[in-house]
Amino acid sequence: MSGLGQRGSPRRRLVSGIAFLLPNILGFAAFTLVPLVMSFGIAFTDWDTLRHNIFRHETLRFVGFENFSWLFHHPDFLHYLSNTFFLMLGLPFAIAGSLGAALLLTRVSHRPVARRGAFIFATLFLTGSGLLLRLGGMSQVGVWFIFGVLAAVSLVAGVLTGGSVYRTLFYLPNFTAGVATFVLWKKLYNPSGPINAALGPVLDGFASVVRSAPGLFSWGVPLACGVVATALTLWQLWRLRQHWDDATAGTVSVVTGLLMLAVPVGLQLHWFGLSAVTAVGGPLGVVLIGAVLILKRPRRWGPVCARDAGLSAEIALALGLVPLLTLLAVGVTWGSQLPALAAVGLPAPNWLGDYDWAKPAIMIMGLWAAIGSNNMILYLAGLSNIPPELYEAADMDGASPLQRFWHITWPQLAPVTFFIGVMGVIYGLQGGFEMARVMTKGGPAGSTTTLSYFIYIEGFETGRLGYASAAAWVLFALVFILSLLNFRFGNRSAND
Amino acid sequence: MKRSFLISVALLSLASALLYWTVPGKRTDIPVIYWVTQDDENKRATVAAFQQWMADEHLPPVELRIDNTNQEPTKKLVQGLSGVGSDIMDLYGYEADLFPATGMIQDVTEDAKRLGFSPAATYPALAPDFIINGRQFGFPRNAGVSLNWINRGTFAKYHVPEPPMRWTMDEFEALGKKFVAAANPPGTRERIYFTNLVPREQLRRGLGLANYNETSTRCTLDDPRNVQILERVRRWTVEDHLIPSREEGEAMAADISGDGSMFSHFTSGRFAMIYVGQWALIILRPRGTFQLRAVEPAIDGFVNTDMGGGAVSVYARSKHLEESVRFLQFLTSPHFNNLIARIADGLPPVPKYAETEEFLRPAAHPNEWGTAAVFAEEARTTGITMSKSPFVLQSILYRVEKELTETMVSGRMTAAEAAKAMGDRLNAEIQLRIDHDPALRKLYDQRVAIQRQIDARRAAGKPVPAAWINDPFHLAYYRAHGWLEKEATP
Repeated sequence: MSGLGQRGSPRRRLVSGIAFLLPNILGFAAFTLVPLVMSFGIAFTDWDTLRHNIFRHETLRFVGFENFSWLFHHPDFLHYLSNTFFLMLGLPFAIAGSLGAALLLTRVSHRPVARRGAFIFATLFLTGSGLLLRLGGMSQVGVWFIFGVLAAVSLVAGVLTGGSVYRTLFYLPNFTAGVATFVLWKKLYNPSGPINAALGPVLDGFASVVRSAPGLFSWGVPLACGVVATALTLWQLWRLRQHWDDATAGTVSVVTGLLMLAVPVGLQLHWFGLSAVTAVGGPLGVVLIGAVLILKRPRRWGPVCARDAGLSAEIALALGLVPLLTLLAVGVTWGSQLPALAAVGLPAPNWLGDYDWAKPAIMIMGLWAAIGSNNMILYLAGLSNIPPELYEAADMDGASPLQRFWHITWPQLAPVTFFIGVMGVIYGLQGGFEMARVMTKGGPAGSTTTLSYFIYIEGFETGRLGYASAAAWVLFALVFILSLLNFRFGNRSAND
Repeated sequence: MKRSFLISVALLSLASALLYWTVPGKRTDIPVIYWVTQDDENKRATVAAFQQWMADEHLPPVELRIDNTNQEPTKKLVQGLSGVGSDIMDLYGYEADLFPATGMIQDVTEDAKRLGFSPAATYPALAPDFIINGRQFGFPRNAGVSLNWINRGTFAKYHVPEPPMRWTMDEFEALGKKFVAAANPPGTRERIYFTNLVPREQLRRGLGLANYNETSTRCTLDDPRNVQILERVRRWTVEDHLIPSREEGEAMAADISGDGSMFSHFTSGRFAMIYVGQWALIILRPRGTFQLRAVEPAIDGFVNTDMGGGAVSVYARSKHLEESVRFLQFLTSPHFNNLIARIADGLPPVPKYAETEEFLRPAAHPNEWGTAAVFAEEARTTGITMSKSPFVLQSILYRVEKELTETMVSGRMTAAEAAKAMGDRLNAEIQLRIDHDPALRKLYDQRVAIQRQIDARRAAGKPVPAAWINDPFHLAYYRAHGWLEKEATP
């Protein structure tokens, strides 16, 4: 091998190497580097395709930060930025889904034969359930699509192949052409399509249950949501105190862990109609008090950890806890209205046509795509790297499966989770264009227009390249800041 | 390895060269021109008619090819600005405003005079669609207004009287409620609607309000008359269910995309009426024999209809400019106009061809008799093209107006808030454009000065010169009310 690599003079080898690399370098320069540099320059000009093109040679004007300034004063930009962030709320669920898929696949591939009976039973059960639902009045399309095809094929195939079909099926969204997938989901989301055909009877049944005990639901839902939210909040406070005491969480981590609780509480106060000052100031005040109460506690093993120790774990946890607490806050605020809604029936959503449902619909689709994505592969790799002796020790100590997961798997996967989280945020910020273009055209009423789609509209439909470039660089700045966080904390976490 | 690499490079180069030499323009001595349009039976018939016309006129042969892969507006724009646009392009809606502004569309004013396809050859009301600042940038390949098509069978089925030819918004509401009540008894699973949409711009115009003022220097959608129209639209959509909301429309679209859904629901009786141009016949004819009528949209005050046509323009960097321009001349020929009359793709661009028996009473379609005459008459009398401003792109107007109307209908803002937001955002857009473009600023300042004079004259009850007014609606409105100076009145 070494002989092959050393043939010819160094100069000749250099020329050969460059010759091989040149097509790629030229392609990169022509289609990435030069446009990148140009777009940075364009962001500070008034480049408008109407006036600056090969037909009209008007002089470009340097406008400084005018494009950026106008961007932040424009109601559309902030609206679309908030849409982008809203769609990213689905990220924790996607991460949880990927992890769940990876855990399931690990189990299936380890013990295919032992589970065969269970799979066959599950297949028969689901198929039978589908037939029963059909007899009970559910539409044929919904039943066959949901149970007949997916359950039977995937489960039986899984039994026969010992899990490799599952891996393929789970990875399917990642190698299916995006546009084809979006068209398919558009059909699925059709108001009279399979999803609503399956949901209709379920909602009808649920509505009749709610109607039978309206009083119970009017206070039961907010109460249940409130109890769960309070329990989660107290758990997080207890967790932070424990970590502080054990010197596994530094000052920054504790404050971060408290701040994540402030977000849903602030939203809750806002939805209750309190002023913005109270909604922001109140939770921050509580965070301050909580921080003082925790941080002044003496540590069990002395002050030995860095200020940002455990920060990656807090951020990873925040990705799941904040959306969950926010959803519970929604239940607390509007749960009491459920009986009134059920009184007139609970119609299946108009997924892509309704202002309130369009974003969740896209989030659900994103969740489907993300579960079987590269994230799952990363988790599979992460799981295979966990030393088996840790599980053996846990087994000897009599740990339950949940304890094994919580005290071994989850902490061991923290670097992977953090990496996936930050990468997900980056992709989330850049994403949404294809979905908006293919499925909703950014509507209804701009509810699914994301930053990337906005950049496209401004650049190619409105022709304001300067403005679109400024928006693109703002997006880059957001991505860059989050990438810095990744390098700063992700690497540390991985090396811990 | 190096040998493999060099062989690969050589093969790829050879393949590229072969590809280059096999493109149609290289294989033949006959000029090949590309036309960006739909590839359907009618367009192929147009191509054949063009070849025949060229032969009859003893013109040098040209091969006309349909390019249906680049119809998307953004593709047309990007390709055009990159110097590789198709020779001839169909321009719709905001494209007719945007593309000439970039300079990518050939100014054919002199060619039109030479070859006889100047504005005088078509409907006068269509001129604002292809004349910009006095220069011609294309020629219509059809013309027409949008009206309410009535499926008479649907009205008969529910024993509801058909609408009159001319009606008011109150009459629309009363009849619509009656129809919806009759067609949707309790327990109805699939709701039946009175119509698919109402034309908001025409409704506003009926009350004397356009999107812009007379000189197109200010958006006037924040006017109380727009609030009145938006409230009507919300009531008709949300309370009376005369027209579907966006959500309901999506639900009805089912598996049929685009305009096909609208026609399917019209022929099946889920829409009693649809608001669309005469070209609807292209789609309706193959679907069966329906008893049809066409009536004006229900409008209070100043009766007007939405005039428009598909314009054809020539790419400024076409390698075959003369041949491409000849295609615009062909649009005035009997070959083309008789074809349009026969296939009912709107009104033929040259008005006299809309007076033929074949157009007015097609022998094979007696169920349509009477409708063609209505479309031709409305185009001559009430048709007005859309209001445009050189200071705002139409695409932005569409987007803002549509988004805010949807937001208002969904109950997230009031009609007054939506109207104010429309005015604020579009006027901010005007300000942005003129701040960045010195030439536009100059034009804007000139027009604002004229606007002040118009306002002063109107306040004093004096007539104004027609030349001062840029907006086609205001021009027609002033003319109808006798507010124009005598010498400017045709």
